[in-house]
Amino acid sequence: MLFDREELEKIAGAKQEWEEGLLKQQMERFGMKEPPGRTYTPADLGDWGFLEKVGLPGQYPFTSMEYATHLPERGTAVSAIRFVAGAYAGYGTVEDTRDLWREQGRRGANVAFDLPTQCGYDSDDPISRGEVGKVGIAVDSLRDFEVLYEFLDGVASLDQTASNFTINAPCNIILAMYIAVAEKKGVDPAKLRGTPQNDILKEFVARGTYIFPPDASMRMVRDTITYSHKHLPLLNPISICGYHIREAGATAAQTMAFTFSNAIAYVQLGIDAGLDIDDFVRRFTFLNFSGSMDFFLEIARARAARRIWARIMKERFKARNPRSWTTSGLGNAVEGRYCYTTQRPLNNLARGVIMGVAAALSGGRPSGGVAWDEPLGLGHSYEASQLSLDAARIMQHEARLGTVIDPLAGSYYVESLTDQVEQETLEIMDRIEKMGGSVEAIKSGWMQREVARSAYQFHREVESGERVIVGVNRFTGENELNVTTSRLAPHPYDPRKRADAEERQLANLATVKKDRDNSRVQATLKDLHTAARDENENLMPYFLDCVKAYATIGEMCNVLRDVFGEWEPVGAL
Amino acid sequence: MSKSRTIRVLIAKPGLDGHDRGAKVLTLGLRDEGMEVIYTGLRQTPEKIVQAAVQEDVDVVGLSCLSGAHNELFPRVVELLREFGKEDSLVMGGGLVPEEDVPGLREKGISAVFTSGTPIHTIAEYIRQNVRA
Repeated sequence: MLFDREELEKIAGAKQEWEEGLLKQQMERFGMKEPPGRTYTPADLGDWGFLEKVGLPGQYPFTSMEYATHLPERGTAVSAIRFVAGAYAGYGTVEDTRDLWREQGRRGANVAFDLPTQCGYDSDDPISRGEVGKVGIAVDSLRDFEVLYEFLDGVASLDQTASNFTINAPCNIILAMYIAVAEKKGVDPAKLRGTPQNDILKEFVARGTYIFPPDASMRMVRDTITYSHKHLPLLNPISICGYHIREAGATAAQTMAFTFSNAIAYVQLGIDAGLDIDDFVRRFTFLNFSGSMDFFLEIARARAARRIWARIMKERFKARNPRSWTTSGLGNAVEGRYCYTTQRPLNNLARGVIMGVAAALSGGRPSGGVAWDEPLGLGHSYEASQLSLDAARIMQHEARLGTVIDPLAGSYYVESLTDQVEQETLEIMDRIEKMGGSVEAIKSGWMQREVARSAYQFHREVESGERVIVGVNRFTGENELNVTTSRLAPHPYDPRKRADAEERQLANLATVKKDRDNSRVQATLKDLHTAARDENENLMPYFLDCVKAYATIGEMCNVLRDVFGEWEPVGAL
Repeated sequence: MSKSRTIRVLIAKPGLDGHDRGAKVLTLGLRDEGMEVIYTGLRQTPEKIVQAAVQEDVDVVGLSCLSGAHNELFPRVVELLREFGKEDSLVMGGGLVPEEDVPGLREKGISAVFTSGTPIHTIAEYIRQNVRA
């Protein structure tokens, strides 16, 4: 307790006197009906205790940070632009991306897949028309994975690198391809590092690349958790995402509530499969929760997130190992990409910097935010990436942000806001629990409707002017300048290759189908079909057989569509 | 058009793109503007969209795509609408459509492209003034 009861009463009394006296006078003088903000005092915190609510960095309940300290001399969150190993990338055919990554000297893969791959369709499926190689690389069969990983030849062996795969519904198939490539290269799969996204629940809520109904989808996730626990001990089988839920329109509290409820469902899969919580949950990761331009709210949200999750792990799941109480990726405040505007887009630089400061004040490193030209839909320019990087450097070296961890701890305002957003989150989680958990709240369409309602609410506030977006719904008069700039360095994605990627990938796929042993393909697909019908079977070994026979993602998913059915979204708007 | 009939709108997501924040907000917003609006949900082929447009006898088809497949998918919907005798429908596009693609889309029968930040009222007004019924 920061202040004794007598002192708190004195403060509360002084505040009341101030409100009725000085504040009221000033407001009357300026003709104000409501004060523009409120003032916080220790009375707002009451019997708040530091160790219970915050704790030291790296200690329960992790409000200040997951770790005791930042790593030494790691610099800013971003490293060199052109040669960054980890940036999410990929376009066209695997040949195009392989060549680009070689040229950039990459040592790790962070793979963006095109939509047909993400939705379990082959490139030659009629529904794939126009989408092949568009938002990432096209992968149909193991052949494509083999070609992609040629970028590492002579650079690093597969066990010296890590791979991130933004893949969800067909995650198990992509994982099987990764294992098969390792085996072909003579690398022990037990040494493979990587993180497939594998968060199917948020696909139903927000991102949309689901295939099968929720229960069958969760079985697939269970298979990856138990299989990797046994065979891929260095792999993080899941990256649980708040990001897409927030970007789709959910509020800060909804985003945390939905994401943590989803996370609870995934943890429960491991427990129900007989694993010990302390044995598997340390391999779980979170992505991030996106954000808004509401500076203090986002700092409070990030602090609350770590505390909520720590309590769930310790109190609900009874994890004993302190390392299980926090999960990497819970992270700091981050910019919301939906907050970036196409109108007067250079203003996005200011938006990125503001949230980069919030990152540094909420247990993270300063960051320059995502490139300002993101919403233009042309890919990040090198120039924009340079500016983000420099912004982070200025924050770190000139403004010296990030040297003190959680510098707002104890702020009457930030602590109150942290408690408030935590409370709101827990109330929503309680509602979900009463519905029977995340899977049920998704099957009924409840989560999806809540997100749509919040998105619409946000939009109405923008249209009414209640929520101001500079250069969009205010300050748009004739005297304002539309500041623009042009790109000097060409974008690394070759537009000609993007244009004919579909045609080239169709040829690749036709060759695979011609050259492979089709009777072996049919036999492995048949085994997959039989195994899929038995809920207790782990399908990973069957996918591995199919993949090695060069069966395609579309063929495997069609087998599963036959057994599991396809998800038809419920609940009209 | 006569004031007695409520304008009927189909908001559709062609292709595999799963980003439908805009499509849903527009659906709810045009309803508040007094129109009857049907949202198809994700992952519709141009064929399915046109089938829905015919069955529901809509006056307007709004297409949303953020994956970059708009140049392929939007004109295909217009083509099929013609085939099925619905060439009088007003076809609009939205999503992540680079400005340089807009003239090409207009030439192919997408009468307007509205990207993020467009007020719903602006779209509603555009529909009221251009709907052919």
